[in-house]
Amino acid sequence: MIRFTALLILSALFILILGPFFSYPVLMIGVFILAYLVGGSGGISFFAGGLSFGLIWFFQAVYIAVQTNSSLPEKMAELMGLGESNLLWVATGLLGFLLGGFSALSGSLLRNLFKKKRDQGIYRY
Amino acid sequence: MKYIGFAFALIITLSLGVALSLQFGSIPPLGKLLDPNHGFWQNSFTEDQIAKEEIFFDGLIAEVTITYDEDLIPHIFAENEEDLYRAQGYVTAQHRLWQMEFQTMAAAGRVSEIVGPIALDLDRMTRRKGLPFAAEQGLQYLETSDTESLRFLNAYAEGVNLYINELSEARLPIEYKILNYRPENWSAYKSILLLKYMADMLVGDRDLEYTNLRNMLGEELLNKLFPLFPEENDPVIEAEKVWDFEPLQISRPDSINYPEEDIFVKTMPQPVPGIGSNNWAVSGTKTQSGKPILANDPHLGLNLPSLWYAMQLTTPEYSVKGATLPGALGIISGFNENIAWGVTNATRDTRDWYAIQFKQADRLEYLYNDQWIQSTFRIEEIKVKGQAPFMDTVVYTHHGPIVYDKNFRAERQDVNFALKWTAHLPSNEQKTFLLLNKGQNHNDYIEALNHYTSPAQNFVFASNEGDIAIKVQGKFPLKWEGQGKFLMDGNDPRMEWKDFIPNEHNAATLNPARGFVSSANQHSVDPSYPYYVFDNSFEHYRNRRLNERLRLMGNIRIEDMMELQFDNYHLHAAEALPVMLNLIQADTLIAQGNPNSDYLKSLMAWDFYTNPSQTEPSMFDLWWRYLNRSVWEEYIKSEKPVVLPNKYQTVKLLQNESQSPLFDKKSTDKLEIAKDHVLASFDSMIVAVEKFKAEKGELSWATFKNTTIQHLVPNFKSFSYEGIQTGGGANIINATSERHGASWRMVVELGDEPSAFGIYPGGQSGNPGSKFYDSFLKKWANGEYVNFKLRKATDQQQVLFKTTLKP
Repeated sequence: MIRFTALLILSALFILILGPFFSYPVLMIGVFILAYLVGGSGGISFFAGGLSFGLIWFFQAVYIAVQTNSSLPEKMAELMGLGESNLLWVATGLLGFLLGGFSALSGSLLRNLFKKKRDQGIYRY
Repeated sequence: MKYIGFAFALIITLSLGVALSLQFGSIPPLGKLLDPNHGFWQNSFTEDQIAKEEIFFDGLIAEVTITYDEDLIPHIFAENEEDLYRAQGYVTAQHRLWQMEFQTMAAAGRVSEIVGPIALDLDRMTRRKGLPFAAEQGLQYLETSDTESLRFLNAYAEGVNLYINELSEARLPIEYKILNYRPENWSAYKSILLLKYMADMLVGDRDLEYTNLRNMLGEELLNKLFPLFPEENDPVIEAEKVWDFEPLQISRPDSINYPEEDIFVKTMPQPVPGIGSNNWAVSGTKTQSGKPILANDPHLGLNLPSLWYAMQLTTPEYSVKGATLPGALGIISGFNENIAWGVTNATRDTRDWYAIQFKQADRLEYLYNDQWIQSTFRIEEIKVKGQAPFMDTVVYTHHGPIVYDKNFRAERQDVNFALKWTAHLPSNEQKTFLLLNKGQNHNDYIEALNHYTSPAQNFVFASNEGDIAIKVQGKFPLKWEGQGKFLMDGNDPRMEWKDFIPNEHNAATLNPARGFVSSANQHSVDPSYPYYVFDNSFEHYRNRRLNERLRLMGNIRIEDMMELQFDNYHLHAAEALPVMLNLIQADTLIAQGNPNSDYLKSLMAWDFYTNPSQTEPSMFDLWWRYLNRSVWEEYIKSEKPVVLPNKYQTVKLLQNESQSPLFDKKSTDKLEIAKDHVLASFDSMIVAVEKFKAEKGELSWATFKNTTIQHLVPNFKSFSYEGIQTGGGANIINATSERHGASWRMVVELGDEPSAFGIYPGGQSGNPGSKFYDSFLKKWANGEYVNFKLRKATDQQQVLFKTTLKP
């Protein structure tokens, strides 16, 4: 649980602070590294990374929509064949969740890989 | 197992990262697009929310202040002209970058680069017409003969490029994000391309269609259906005008032979009939204030982002305001402290075709004056998104480029048609507008116009000194009667035009006795003008309605001129409908209890206005369309490209020669007369009306004509506006049809301080997410205006925000 919270908060801060300056592949690498460093299990990392990425994107989208009161989300939703502009918030959040989740999962599984090697060294023979 | 797990997760992660940054078919890169920090969400901010107070601009000579008023109209205050145009470039790019670039891509024949193979045919046509070639000629001309204009064009480009270079991913216009490309640098060449693009948009010709018609109808019938002047000619230059120059002499050579063969090429799209523009000026003798009032409303495609961008440009020497074309320098239709001017298209056949005979299939030499002349080749490389580039070889003769040949739109192997067009000439249209912007009087106006070549325009003028004037300006070939009306023989030098009508002989008038000048794309002159003036697309209705109104009006105020711009009277209907009703003896039909009597009665009671809620215009529109189609059916069905007689001549024919053999359908045994067509089309109209009413529940004119302001990418439907509630239509002063109409309306009253009002269907911002994207739209549809009076740098009222450009 501590690792879950740690990864959730760390990657959320990372995405929030560096998001405006870097494109999302850089954020993915960041979450990947954070998950590696925090070292939670695959499942924990996936959800922590996914939630942090997804929720930040979701709330950023909602924040912009509320702040600007622009008709653009409706226009984009129509253009993309979505009936409701609210679905665009969900789509943005979901996409963020997938990007964050799989980046964190890869990071944690990489660490798992190295851990396992050490373990094998100790217990073999 | 864990390796596999990791590898699996990594592959998914990488695929997600990569796939979402790529475009698949028409699906944009979703990751980039939805990223709240860089994607489309960032385009939700309006301009005032992201405004900067200061911007540093390397190369600027002195500080420039830009005040945006509450409609986001920028007012640029610069210390010198070079800085003024730098700032104009910067500010325009800020709000219209995607549009200005897209339009020049279209002008350069590079749309395929952005949208893929769907635009290949369009790009090939653009290149074969020689638009990029023409812009190169224009640039070369500036390099050798007008380095000042070139310096200003470069200053403008610096401004645009400053904006492009500091453009963050977040601020990138949304169209780039959806279509997944980035802007390239601007240049003087692109500005010139844009002006050539305007020429292309406004100039048409029907030479090849006329050639076919001459073969089908014979010369006599052709001249009858397509007379040089209409019966009721109400030309741009008042008919009473006495020409005060000694004309150049030219006469039709003896025994001239046009190529006789029928033509089977898919001819190029033409400017849509009914598009055009109005402008006029009334002298102080007819106005309440005693000062002239000038009005202009150019009609073009109704698009978003709007074709026009409003601006004020101020230096210590002058202050000018009005509509700019994003990508071109200065104000195109506007006013300053001393003068006001406006433009309408002065349509005239300045595009001619020559059939070329080559020596061999390699097309290296062609026959001219019975000698073999070397041709040149221009290889056009058209980049295509997602495909290998397309190479098109265009052969150039001294006449111009071969547009139609075995590789393009021609079925026969031996077709080689060269295009000769004044837009290919080295020219400097930009200079005209730069000079008009700072013009002070009639002499300055005439001097400015001398630099103008193409597309020919009726330049209306009014000055604070009390002058009103209009001049038909363009570089017009000196033609013998009939020259260039048909496809010509490229071998015969007598077919070629070589000289031009001198600027001083171009039709013009200054302070005519009638107290007004006006134009609405009609015939430029009356038959007394000593030069051959021909075009297929002259207007026959707006001009007569406009002049009739102007003749009657007195004690005119600005509001009266606004009302006139919004005049919905349908003169064509007023002339055609009584003839149609008479031919079918509507009275008798009603008396006999015809089941459609209600429709007939309603049409008979129509006041011929086309206000949005009226239903008669919808009925008439349908009836006329069916009637026209029925009368000219044989020509419409012809497999050869032809052009149909215009509405005006068709009405004359119905009215004066209802028994004419022209009305007989050769495909039937019966001998048809006009009445048969009118009756049949009336029935078709009723069926269509019933169907429309069943579908839409009503028949109001606004719903029926469905005025649509369409985004430049038609697929972006949610960036467009359909079903605008507004009246008017083609050939009506308020020329708002489905896709065309007043793309800019301006009324200016000269005086110590000019009063001015303007409006256009759209808004200052090119960003569909901004509230300024469509902020003028409703006012425009209602015939309202926004105040366009000149601002001073010190004016503090109604300021949205200010930006300072610092060196």
